[in-house]
Amino acid sequence: MTAHNVTIAGYLVAVAGIVLLQVLATRTRAPVPSLGDLLTRAMRSRTGRVGVLVAWAWIGLHFFAR
Amino acid sequence: MSRAAPSPEDRHAQHPGTDTGGAAAGSAEAVVDPVRPAGRVLAALSGLREPVVWVLLLIAFFTAVSGKPVDGVLMLIVATGLVWDAGRRALRHPEAGSEPVARRSRLAGGRRRLVAVTALLAGGAVYAGVVGSFSRYSWPATAGIIGLGTIVVLIGWHGPLRARPDGGRLPLAGTLAWIVVLVAGCLWELAALLQQPSITTDSYSHPTISTLTDPMLATSPGRSIVLLGWLALGWYLVER
Repeated sequence: MTAHNVTIAGYLVAVAGIVLLQVLATRTRAPVPSLGDLLTRAMRSRTGRVGVLVAWAWIGLHFFAR
Repeated sequence: MSRAAPSPEDRHAQHPGTDTGGAAAGSAEAVVDPVRPAGRVLAALSGLREPVVWVLLLIAFFTAVSGKPVDGVLMLIVATGLVWDAGRRALRHPEAGSEPVARRSRLAGGRRRLVAVTALLAGGAVYAGVVGSFSRYSWPATAGIIGLGTIVVLIGWHGPLRARPDGGRLPLAGTLAWIVVLVAGCLWELAALLQQPSITTDSYSHPTISTLTDPMLATSPGRSIVLLGWLALGWYLVER
């Protein structure tokens, strides 16, 4: 297995973990909050809210802006 | 002519929506007395206690040194704005927390909301088509992203669009599981970035997410599709 494939496999594991936790949160009674609940909690304060929205804006800047 | 300082009860009567509790307010005032010069300085710098501010300052530094000064300056502006805003509020209302007050929704009516949603969808499609037609890292694309990002952050700065029920405490184990997965993903990306020949040179052996998305973002339709996803995520976050 090449380093390229290992790197991509790592990303896929992270994505699988996110999907798994979201499924556990929304389809089972497991004590796991959904990603939406986490974001809502993080955005309860002004700094948290601005921080999350700036992170979103940064994604756009990173991929498209000079 | 001097004026007596208002009592906590007076302040509560003037700002009922920002009271965070008598005991908590009392202890906060005991720690930071905005009447004294030292207390005013501490109150003005109270925003520096927010971890988000330091995260933004770190992002500003690292993006600037990695060849994206525009990103760095924007992050610095937001971090400075948060510190200034927190200090201003601490000086005016030392008992006030940083909880944003939900605005009354002006889109409460079903028909008005439908019209607004339709207009936003149409505007989003036009935006994605137009900005996606510009090449990456061009000034028109940069202006489009900065413009929309600024609007969304300013909307969020004033608080949520509508009140949401307090979900209570999140389960600790499940929350930790999310943190582990998200931090592990970020560290994996960081490890790939640090294994590149240089911070601005891509590596086939250790591709970052940016490198993996380059083929899709090389075409105009690909950029428009990604922009639509970015817009949808932004809308979802603004609605939180």
